Amino acid sequence: VNMRRWGGEQLLLALPVLFLVVFFYGPIANLLREGLTKDGAFSLEFLWAVLTDDYFRHVILFTLWQALLSTLASIALGLPLAFILTHYDFPLKRIVRALTIVPFVLPAITVALGFVLLFGRNGYLNQFLMHLFGLSEPPLPIMYSLTGIVLAHAFYNAPIITRTVHAAWERLDPRYEESARALGASRFFVFKDITLPMILPGLLSGAALVFIFCFLSFPIVLSVGGGRFSTIEVEIYTRVVTRLDPQFVNYKIGAALALVGLVLSLAVTYLYLRLQGSLALQTEQLRPRPTAPLFAGVRDLLRPAKLLVWLYVLISVILFVGPVAAIVVDSLREETAEGARWTLRWYSYIFTPNYEALVGDSPLRAIVNSLIFGLGATAIAVPLGLIFAYVIARLRLDRSSCRRRRQGVQSRRSLVDTLLMAPLATSSIVLAFALLRAFNAPPLRLVGTATAVIIAHAVIIFPFIVRALVPILESLDVRLTEMARSLGAGRFRALRDIELPLVATGLIAGAVFAFALSLGEMSATLMLARPGLSTMPVAVYRFLSQHSLGAPSAMSVVMIAVSAIAFILLERWGERALRF
Amino acid sequence: MLRRAVLVALCIGLGLAWGSSSAQISEGSKLVVYTYESFVAWGPAKFIKTEFEKQHPGIEVEFVATGPSRAMFARLVNETISGGTPADLFLGEVNDVPRAKKFGLFMPLKPEEIPNLRSVPKDLLLDPDLTIVPYEHGFITLVYDSTKLKPEELPKTFEDLTKPQYQKKLIVQNALTSSVGQSFLFWTIYNYGEGKYLDYWRRLLPSILTIQPGWSAAYKLFTKGEAPMVVSFSTDECFDARYKPLLLNSQGYRTIFGASVIKGTDNPKLAREFINFLLSPEVQEKLPDTEVMFPVNSQAQLPDKWRTCAVIPPSPVMIPLDVVSENADRWLDEWARLVVTGR
Repeated sequence: VNMRRWGGEQLLLALPVLFLVVFFYGPIANLLREGLTKDGAFSLEFLWAVLTDDYFRHVILFTLWQALLSTLASIALGLPLAFILTHYDFPLKRIVRALTIVPFVLPAITVALGFVLLFGRNGYLNQFLMHLFGLSEPPLPIMYSLTGIVLAHAFYNAPIITRTVHAAWERLDPRYEESARALGASRFFVFKDITLPMILPGLLSGAALVFIFCFLSFPIVLSVGGGRFSTIEVEIYTRVVTRLDPQFVNYKIGAALALVGLVLSLAVTYLYLRLQGSLALQTEQLRPRPTAPLFAGVRDLLRPAKLLVWLYVLISVILFVGPVAAIVVDSLREETAEGARWTLRWYSYIFTPNYEALVGDSPLRAIVNSLIFGLGATAIAVPLGLIFAYVIARLRLDRSSCRRRRQGVQSRRSLVDTLLMAPLATSSIVLAFALLRAFNAPPLRLVGTATAVIIAHAVIIFPFIVRALVPILESLDVRLTEMARSLGAGRFRALRDIELPLVATGLIAGAVFAFALSLGEMSATLMLARPGLSTMPVAVYRFLSQHSLGAPSAMSVVMIAVSAIAFILLERWGERALRF
Repeated sequence: MLRRAVLVALCIGLGLAWGSSSAQISEGSKLVVYTYESFVAWGPAKFIKTEFEKQHPGIEVEFVATGPSRAMFARLVNETISGGTPADLFLGEVNDVPRAKKFGLFMPLKPEEIPNLRSVPKDLLLDPDLTIVPYEHGFITLVYDSTKLKPEELPKTFEDLTKPQYQKKLIVQNALTSSVGQSFLFWTIYNYGEGKYLDYWRRLLPSILTIQPGWSAAYKLFTKGEAPMVVSFSTDECFDARYKPLLLNSQGYRTIFGASVIKGTDNPKLAREFINFLLSPEVQEKLPDTEVMFPVNSQAQLPDKWRTCAVIPPSPVMIPLDVVSENADRWLDEWARLVVTGR
C-alpha cells in the first residue's frame, strides 16, 4: 500500500521541486559557481581570499556578532510579552496579539524611517529628553550605531520570539506546575525545572529563526547603521551589485561571500528545523491555562512584579508603537512657510490616479500592483507549499511508526528539509541578483515583467507556507483518511473532503501571512521590476528621495494598515494555527 | 464557506497575475532612460517626458531610477553582461565614464549629431570620444544649516573639520554607492594625495555622524536636523535659504552630469534627439530650479536669484579622468576597508 501511494506522491512532489529548481536552485547555483571558478576552471582562490583576508574576517565576524546581539535583544524584548500574553487578560488582547506580527512584514525602509523620526539625534525621544533635562546634546546615541542596528532588528524579530514562546507556553498543561507547587517547590524552581524546559524548544526554535533573519538583514544595516558597518550581505550587495569591475574580481568575491553566508545560515536553518521537529512531539494540552486580569486595582499596580510588567509595557510601547506612531504623525504633517500644520494632502496625493514620474506610474497603481503581486505569489506558493508540506508530513508519519528509528529519521529528515527550505536561508538581495541574471537571458527572459516579480515573491514566501502547514499536517489523524479510503473514496476525494477541510485554518493563516510578506518585500522587487510595476514599498523607497517625508509616510501607513487588517481578520479565523 | 472564499481569492489572484503579466510592453516605440533617483524626484523628468512625447507622437519615454547614480550604473552593467539591457540612454556622473569604457557600454557620438552642443563650453567636454554629453554641472561642497551653525563656528579647511568641536556634525555619502560620496572621496585625495588621504579619513571619522547610501538619504537626514553639515552642492542655497555652502580650502569639487547612448539601442537616432532636447534652452532653463545645478548651455538664462545664491567656488578642482580610471577601484577598496574596520 505504501509503495503505491508513495509513487503518486512523488509525482505530485515534482511540481514544487521543479519550481524550486528552476527559480531558486538553478539561479543560486549559477551565482555561487562564479565564486568557485577562475577562467572557467574550478578554483578555491576567491573562497580562500574571503576566508583569510583580515577585512572579510572582520565582516564575517561582525555579521555573526550583530546577529547574536540582535537575537538576544529580541529574546529580552519578546519573552516578557509572551509571558504577559500567556498569564494576563486585558482588553483588546486578541487584537494586540494579532498586531504583534505587523512589524515583521514592514519593509526595512519604513522601519528605518520610523527609527530616524523617533530615535534620531533630532528625533522625538532625544528632543524630549533634552527638553526634560535641559541638555545641549542628544543623550541617546541610538541611530547610526550597532545599538541602532540591534534595536531595529529587535523591533522586527521580537514578535517571532513572542509568538513561538507564547504558543509553547499556552499549550503547557498548568497541572505540572500546580503539582510541583503543591509538593512544596518554590516559584523559582517551578519555573527553572518545569516551565523553562517545556518552553525552551519554542524559545530556541524562535531564536534560531531570528538569528537567520538578522544574519541576512541588509537594508537595516545599510541605512540604520550606515557605511561604517558592513555585513556579508552588505558586502555582497556593494561588490556584486554596485562595484562590478571588468575582470569580475568583485563579482567573484561577492559570490564566494554568498557561499560562506549560505553555508552559515543553512547550518542555523538545520538547527531551527531540528528544534521545530522536537516541538511537534510535545504533549497535548488537557486544560487551558488560567489567566489573571492585567489591571487589578491600584494596590496590585504597586507590587514589584507588576511594576516590572508595566515598565516592560512602557519600553515596548516606545520601541514597537513609537516608530509606527512617528510615521503616522509625519504622514499628517506639512511644512509650510508659516510653519508645520496638519494635513491630509499626502493621502490624497498617494491615492490619485495621476502619473508620477518618481513611481513611474500613479501612486494608486503601486497600491493595486502590491495587491495583485501578493495575490499572485500566494496563489502560486500556497498549492506548491501545500503539496510539499503534505509529502514531508506523510513521509515522517509513515516512518515514525517505528519509534526507535525516530531519532535517525528526524536528523535525516531535517537535512532534506534544510535543503528544501534553503530559500529561507537566502537573503532577498542574493536571490534577487541571481534571478536578475537568470531572468535576463533566454529561456526565461522575464526581467521587467510582473511574472518575474510574482515568481520572486513566491520563492520568498514559499518556506513560510510550508512551515505553517507541516505541523498541522503532521498532527492530522491518518486513520481518518484511511477510513475514507477503505469506504471507497479515491485519493483525491479523501484529500478534498477529509484532509483539506481539516487544514483549512492553517492554510488560510499561512496564505494571509505569506500575502503580507509579499506586500512588504522590497529588495527583490526593486531589482526586478520596471517603473510601471512599482509596489507600495518600492513607492515608499522612491518617495523617500523627495524633499518631504509626507508621501513616504502616508504610503507606509497604508501598508501598515493593510497588513494590520489582514492579521486582525486572521485572528478572528483562528490565527493560532500560524506558527513559525 | 471560508474554504471557498480563499479558493476564489486565490483564483482571482492567479488570474490577475497572469493577466497583468501577459500585458507586455511593446519595445521600439519606447525610449528607456536610466537615471539617478533625484533626477526623477526633484529634477525635470516629468517635464521632459511630457514635452518630448508631445514633439514625437507615438513615442513613450520611460525613466528608470531605482537608486542613486552609481547603483543605476551597476544595474546597467549587470544587465548588459547577463544578456542585454532595455535601456537606450543613461544619465549619470562623469567619473563613471572610465569604467563604462572598460565595459564598452556607451556609443561614441560626433559633435555634429547633437546640434545644441555648439552652445556648450569646450572645457565641459571631458571625454574626447564623446561617449558622454554633459547637460548640467556643479560643485560638490559642504552645506551647513545656518540655523544651527553661526558663520564664526564654521570649519574653513579640511583640517578644521577634524577638530573635536565638529564631532558627529557631518553626514557624508558612501563612495561605493553614491557618486557624490565618490566625488567627496576624490576631493580628499586631491588635497592629501595618495600617501596621506587614508590618514586624513582616519582623523575625519569622529566628525562623521553617518555614511549614508546616497545623496537623497543623506540630505533627508540633514534637513531633518540630524547633523548641521552635509556633503552636497554649492547651489543648495537657491533651493532653501537656510542651507548655505561651506567651501573647504576655498575649493569645490567639479561634478558633471551627462547623457550617454547605450551601445545596442534599437533607436540611436531618437536617443540622439533626446540628448539634443536635453541641451535645448527650454530644458536647460528648468535645471536650476529642479536639479539645483548649473545648465551647460550658455544660451540658457539663469533665474535672477541665482546671481546671489549660486556660489561658484574660487578654486574648482577635479582629478583628471585618466587618473580616476587607473586608481578608482583601489581607492574605493582602501577607503571601504578603512571606514568599516577603522584601521
